[in-house]
Amino acid sequence: MIARDDLAAVGVSVVEEGDGLRLTPPSAAALARAVAVVRAYRLPLHVRGSGDAPANAPPGGVLFDLGSLDRIASVDAAAGIARVEAGCSVEALESAVRRSGCTLGPLLPSVRAGSVGAWLAGPTRGERGVPGARRQTAALTVSAVLPDGRIAEGRASPSKAVGPDLDQLALGGGGRLCIVAAAWIRLFPATLAMPSAWRFPDVAAAIGALERLCEHRLAPARARIRAGPDGATLGMVWEGILSASIERDRAARVLRESCTPAPEVPPNFVREPPDGHPVEVDARWSSLRAWSAHGDLILFGLHGGGAFAVLSLPEAAAAEQCAALARAASARVIAPRRLRDAGPGWEAAGAGPAWDRLVHALGVPP
Amino acid sequence: MGEHAGVTGRLPSATALGKALQREIAALEIVASCESADLWAASRDCSPSALLWTKARVVPHAPDVVAWPESAEQVAALVRLAGQRRIPLVPVGGGTGMGGGAVPVHGGIVLDTKRLVCPLRIGAARGTVDVGAGTNGKRLDELLAKERLTLGHAPPSLRTATVGGWLATRSAGLLSTRYGAVADMVLALTAVDGSGEILRTLEGPSAGPDLAKLLLGSEGTLAIFTEARLRVWRRPREWWLRAVRFGSLREALAAVREVLRSGLRPHIARLHDPLDTLFAGTDPLRVPQPLKWLAEGAQAEALRLALRAPLLLNRLVDALPASSLVVLGFEGETEDDTAEEGEAALSICRKERGEDLGAAPAEWWLASIHRAPWRQAPLFAAGAFVETLDVATTWQRAEPLYQAVRRATAGLALVRAHFAHAAPEGCAIEISLVGLAGASAAEIAGGSRDDAEADLEKALENREAAWSAALAAAADEGATISHHSGVGAARQAFLHRELGEGMRQLRALKQAFDPHGILNPGKVLP
Repeated sequence: MIARDDLAAVGVSVVEEGDGLRLTPPSAAALARAVAVVRAYRLPLHVRGSGDAPANAPPGGVLFDLGSLDRIASVDAAAGIARVEAGCSVEALESAVRRSGCTLGPLLPSVRAGSVGAWLAGPTRGERGVPGARRQTAALTVSAVLPDGRIAEGRASPSKAVGPDLDQLALGGGGRLCIVAAAWIRLFPATLAMPSAWRFPDVAAAIGALERLCEHRLAPARARIRAGPDGATLGMVWEGILSASIERDRAARVLRESCTPAPEVPPNFVREPPDGHPVEVDARWSSLRAWSAHGDLILFGLHGGGAFAVLSLPEAAAAEQCAALARAASARVIAPRRLRDAGPGWEAAGAGPAWDRLVHALGVPP
Repeated sequence: MGEHAGVTGRLPSATALGKALQREIAALEIVASCESADLWAASRDCSPSALLWTKARVVPHAPDVVAWPESAEQVAALVRLAGQRRIPLVPVGGGTGMGGGAVPVHGGIVLDTKRLVCPLRIGAARGTVDVGAGTNGKRLDELLAKERLTLGHAPPSLRTATVGGWLATRSAGLLSTRYGAVADMVLALTAVDGSGEILRTLEGPSAGPDLAKLLLGSEGTLAIFTEARLRVWRRPREWWLRAVRFGSLREALAAVREVLRSGLRPHIARLHDPLDTLFAGTDPLRVPQPLKWLAEGAQAEALRLALRAPLLLNRLVDALPASSLVVLGFEGETEDDTAEEGEAALSICRKERGEDLGAAPAEWWLASIHRAPWRQAPLFAAGAFVETLDVATTWQRAEPLYQAVRRATAGLALVRAHFAHAAPEGCAIEISLVGLAGASAAEIAGGSRDDAEADLEKALENREAAWSAALAAAADEGATISHHSGVGAARQAFLHRELGEGMRQLRALKQAFDPHGILNPGKVLP
């Protein structure tokens, strides 16, 4: 196989896997060189550790395994920024930044179990909750390998207006338009979480309370709603050096009008794992209310429009059943991968022709 | 050129192409004009270059025709017409841009969006507003205020800019530390791409790259925005404001950074460099006379004399006490709420040796802030130019960036700056360069046309020298060259330094969304 020799010559590890090749580049530069070779041979390409791609090489094609791109180049705790390669696991990054007094904040379990590249290129686009009931991508900017093997390096800045935001081609793109090789990641200061728990007549009422907190810009960093025989329990935690206790107390003022505190609920209630075989969704508040008759929720990235949620059924039902109920509630299932919804893309927005032209103009391989 | 008008000089006349286009556009039931006054008004924005054209009474970039579509469908029809004829189509909102982004450098059709004002639909329960791209910013703010809501977007151009202009440039306003930039407020967009397709991005979960976020900031080169759904919030009842003075810029920067890192969310966090602090009037020191001329634009002769020696002026500033003023603001439902956060922020400032000056200087500052852009007119009329950069970087690099730009431009213009749009990771630096442009407006009016054109050439040269030196220094320091003003025509020469190989992605996007190359040609991409 000529491609194999050429690929080995650019410094990547090449292993035959089924009908294809698995490539493990040791650096972003090697990844870029290998992408150029793959493009020259017009081979089908998948990326492991960069979002939506399956875990195996496509027949007659190549799978890039970014597992060796796992270096954490720097952690600047004062500014709250880390430079990290895409193959680094989110858990490893969290451990490293914790040592510097920082954290990535509460994240969906599937995100935490994956790589930084998968997080950014995957269905959450690297987004997470930030104070003020907003959602924001964790990436200040990314280094992306283009289909022709060149590396586009963004500038780390809190915000920018230099034409369209090119990082958006990588975020949520599943490695299709470019491959995330590294990123500047925003960090929060690690602080003690401030917990609070409340009782409601049912799960829907608890969801309504969370929506109300978002309207007041008092969204917790993480929340859990559990149905019980006497109603529903809502547990929440706020994070932030000075802001956590302020926001928790203000949230209590808002909630006291319509529900009662539950001081007996243990502080780790919010962190307990879900029951059975849960699914993770990206959902609007209306979808979460529609789900409320079925089971429990753990919520992340709460914002004015909705939240990421881990949905679980009270008994050990199959994840497929959970996913079917979530879809019936118009939530988009994002994990586990085998159940992931494709979701509406550019075609649904009327931009299908623009997508086709973009793929062609970028020289994306088939 | 048409008849002479006192302020404008000779107005542009209708071209044969313009008249033909006007007929074709009218056949689409879209209002269009080739009137000289309309062509003149559509030939400029608020960039320093355009202000210098106005002073010299020249019109270097008149369009052929101006059109006012009233719906997305009419915009699509206009785009298809321009595409068939390969005519440039330049969307314009309020015309308040400062980078030449809305100047029709290749003539053609100016698409004025101000009639894209579908009735406002406020979803108070959902916290959303549907708004036409041509809606005036101040009008939107007033309508939301009636419902006790706010967008939280208050750029200096609020009174004149349109929503579409904000979207096209990824605008950021005074309250961005709490509410984010306009890109953080967008839930969904309607836009027309260069092939005439109407795009309606989805609100809520979607797959693949975020189309709305990709189109934002494209400055009319990929698509023309016609409507947006934006997130709105309860309008706070109370504000808390404080001015805090620090002995050095470094201490002030450290304090603001720590306030943001603590999780507090001020709605205002503005830090002034020593000269800006002096002009803010909170310092016991009086402003030395040469600098006062520069602040007020009075006494044109004396001002031009002072600007002949910018290095000396900057050294005079260096010799002044180096205090830095920080204005902090918090908003909330009750006085107790705002004071609680404010006092927490003050405790951080005190650790960095900040001196609480109380609320009065901050309130004076807030009352005067929106007047600042209009104070530039007397300076231009007096024979100066004022350029404003908005560069951005991380906290670690903020002070070196500021110093690098000062060093690079010290011999070309007087430099003053403030640090704004603070985020936990960094901030923007808005740097004003005041330099010598040439003769005063009165002298130009009394002189010959040749003299005016020679003066303009020299003025543009001086401006370009200071501007390029500043942007080069910012690019060398690894900063982004525009935090919220866009690229337009003014920053094009430095775009490749910012984007590197990303220029290929930019070109691909242009091919994908504007296959005929008609949308705002000559902007963003060189």
